[in-house]
Amino acid sequence: VSDQHCYLLDGLGSIPVFQPSSVTELADLVRRNASANVAIYPLGGGTMLDFGIPPTRKGIGVDLRNLNQVVDYPARDMTITAQAGITIARLQELLATENQRLPINVPQADRATLGGIIATNTSGPRRYGCGTLRDYVIGISVVNDQGQEVKAGGRVVKNVAGYDMCKLFIGSLGTLGIITQVTLKLKPRPEEQALVAIGCEPESVEPLLERLQASGTRPVCLDLLNESAIRAINQHVKGLLPEAPWAVVVGFEDNFQAVCWQLQRLIEECHGACSGGLNVLAGVTAEPLWKVLTEFPAWTEKRLTFKANALPSGTALFCQQATTLSPEMQLQAHAGNGIVIGHVGEDLSMDQAQMMMRKLIGWASAAQGNVIVLRSSAEWKRHLPVWGARRGDEWLMRTVKGKLDPRNLFNPGRLF
Amino acid sequence: MSALALGSRLNLVDQLRNIVGADAILTSASDLLVYECDGFTIEKNKPDVVVFPTSPEQVVQIVKTCNELDVPFLPRGAGTSLAGGCLPVGGGVMIALTRMKRILEVSCRDRYAVVEPGVVNKWLSDHLKPQGYHFAPDPSSQGACTVGGNAATNSGGPHTLKYGVTVNHVLGLELVLPDGRVVQTGGAVEDNPGYDLTGVIVGSEGTLGIATKIWVRITRNPEAYRTLLGIFETVDDATNTISDIIGAGIIPGALEMLDQLILQAVEAAYRFGFPLDAGAVLIMEVDGLEAGLEADAERITAIARKNNARDVRRAASESERLLLWKARKNAFGAVGRLAPSYCTQDGVVPRTKLPHILREIQRIGAKHQLRICNVFHAGDGNIHPIMLFDERIPEQVQRVLQASHEILEECLKCGGSVTGEHGIGVEKIDFMPKLFTPEDLNMMLRLRSAFNPEGRCSPAKMFPTAGACIEPTKAGRRAAL
Repeated sequence: VSDQHCYLLDGLGSIPVFQPSSVTELADLVRRNASANVAIYPLGGGTMLDFGIPPTRKGIGVDLRNLNQVVDYPARDMTITAQAGITIARLQELLATENQRLPINVPQADRATLGGIIATNTSGPRRYGCGTLRDYVIGISVVNDQGQEVKAGGRVVKNVAGYDMCKLFIGSLGTLGIITQVTLKLKPRPEEQALVAIGCEPESVEPLLERLQASGTRPVCLDLLNESAIRAINQHVKGLLPEAPWAVVVGFEDNFQAVCWQLQRLIEECHGACSGGLNVLAGVTAEPLWKVLTEFPAWTEKRLTFKANALPSGTALFCQQATTLSPEMQLQAHAGNGIVIGHVGEDLSMDQAQMMMRKLIGWASAAQGNVIVLRSSAEWKRHLPVWGARRGDEWLMRTVKGKLDPRNLFNPGRLF
Repeated sequence: MSALALGSRLNLVDQLRNIVGADAILTSASDLLVYECDGFTIEKNKPDVVVFPTSPEQVVQIVKTCNELDVPFLPRGAGTSLAGGCLPVGGGVMIALTRMKRILEVSCRDRYAVVEPGVVNKWLSDHLKPQGYHFAPDPSSQGACTVGGNAATNSGGPHTLKYGVTVNHVLGLELVLPDGRVVQTGGAVEDNPGYDLTGVIVGSEGTLGIATKIWVRITRNPEAYRTLLGIFETVDDATNTISDIIGAGIIPGALEMLDQLILQAVEAAYRFGFPLDAGAVLIMEVDGLEAGLEADAERITAIARKNNARDVRRAASESERLLLWKARKNAFGAVGRLAPSYCTQDGVVPRTKLPHILREIQRIGAKHQLRICNVFHAGDGNIHPIMLFDERIPEQVQRVLQASHEILEECLKCGGSVTGEHGIGVEKIDFMPKLFTPEDLNMMLRLRSAFNPEGRCSPAKMFPTAGACIEPTKAGRRAAL
């Protein structure tokens, strides 16, 4: 494996990057560097490299994008096994030929890789109806700290043999090993889809969300956007969302009859609650809004992007509190799941960012939640609470890391 | 088979009695008999003591006492597991969690509930019914099995095809670790940063600690159902129908198959009106919004007819639907009409390999002169072949064990697994090296050592290195699936 190029990694400076073209090469590379105690930074499409604590230990990058083969796609079994370096766009394209999909929204899908989205536990608006990667990864292979390829799970949709190590790697930020191959459970593509954007006043947001939660319809998406986000989105695609202080976007995916019925029913249920206007986007006309809702977390114009997780019932209040910090703050909440993404700060100073994070963490914790930094400069992140408030199980996570990667080779300093 | 000398056993019992009280401890040989096995009855061993704590604090004290006295311990729910997961290998203290049975919190707005581990699966769904919610995992033992046990074994059931298994519905755990420390993983909110410890603890069969509180996702009840009964001349036609339904992009709530032999038993017991000469029947149920169901039901009917279904009947009323499900869920009870003893297995194959594995099962049955009937979760490829025999005849027992083994080997050859929902326990430890390499197993053991370094919690489970060698000589899994 030759030193192909160098990479600037989240404040670490330039590190040499290797591009193994087989798992054997990768395993050799890990073994060699492990014995020399050199840190290893796994790389996919590079879409989320600003996520996590900036690393400080020099080491090598390992670019997985040459490990991008589809190993097996038995479409009738609705599973696929692919190498970690395949891009999500290519994966979805292939699945679409069999009228199937992985129902996870992934920003920058033409760059993001399968291994990368698993390591960062990427999700999007559809998680309300379709869940997250933990509901789809049924088998995984990784190269461990000893340079061995090890596996867990399997290729069948139901399997309880051994520990479900797949779960441990989802969201592990590449700190436990290098993901080489993944088996996914798939879903059929829905026959029909629709998005309904409902404009509303501040005081009617939570009542509307509560009503939708108990609605006769069964939405797959329940997103909330604030005025700055609405304005920015409408600049991308004119007139996509009603001009209002807040907008709730409700998504449906089902067969044709069920989507039509739900649209009608939703309009009846919202009668009187949507003073700010209502846009109905059915079929292909929903695509641009889906795209915007998916890509929102990857917007990079602002200096700080945070992610909050709170109880769904506390989401509207949290968002309203957050907007008091800066009228320019752009917010998207997956309100049915209590997940909030916020972009803030064209003229923000680092002190202000610290103060903001403190306040946000306080408000989120009132709804049993937390706030983490999703994206910011390495310089800022050294002074910000990247993982928010400390959790009581962190010591156990550190113990797990110590057992699976005792020399702290993989992405050292990223998580802890 | 106790690990304890008499003196230290008395000391242990005294200390435990002080923790839980005299009415929450069992020590006599006759009382302990109940706890010598679960639904896997091949191997039996009595614990030294059974305790029934009523609070997490008591569990902590029990665990600490076991550590101080160097006594193994293990958790137990209702004991409906089928692979020996709560067999007290080496004796020790059995911590029965059935008195920790409170539903602590329910929030429909935030779609979660918090329960103690001893809450019976069906109680939770019954409790949620007035609000229009349920707990989605519904193993056939749901009237008895506990949510704690479901989490330990990552239970399945007939609705996993659409709704997933237990782990997809567990958000967080309060866990008493094997050294007595308490930790909360996950919780009511989603996406906590760091490792998904909850995800890996679910299904760990009690080897990583003892859950004392469980945060579960609650699911809205479907608005409506369409339940169809497809009647086929051959097993192949039925399995092709399954494959075509999935291929058409329909995910039914349940897809269950019964073959001719089990049909005859079920019909004799419940008189549902199943045709006795059919090769197989499929129970095909779609659920969801009323508005969309008719279209799905019509497509399923057309697919079944295309695959030579002799007839496709519809449950015309809710009572007919419930009767059909009663026949399915109690099918195992009807097997008693066919033979004095039976034993079942829990293999999984990719859905498209169902015709192959069912043919192989018949071949293996013929080879060992055994009658085998099938009733199983066809949509998931999770087979439950039932072997009929007479346990009083040792030579028949040997043939059953041999046939079981060959069926599971064939599942592995098809790229499947030896257990879809029952677990490894002690029963299938020998298969672990066939499913996983020594390096794979080592990764799992490293994880275990982060939680359970002394191996005192649920010893000799899941992993071949645990030191227990179990030589099955009797076949005896009887519980309903």
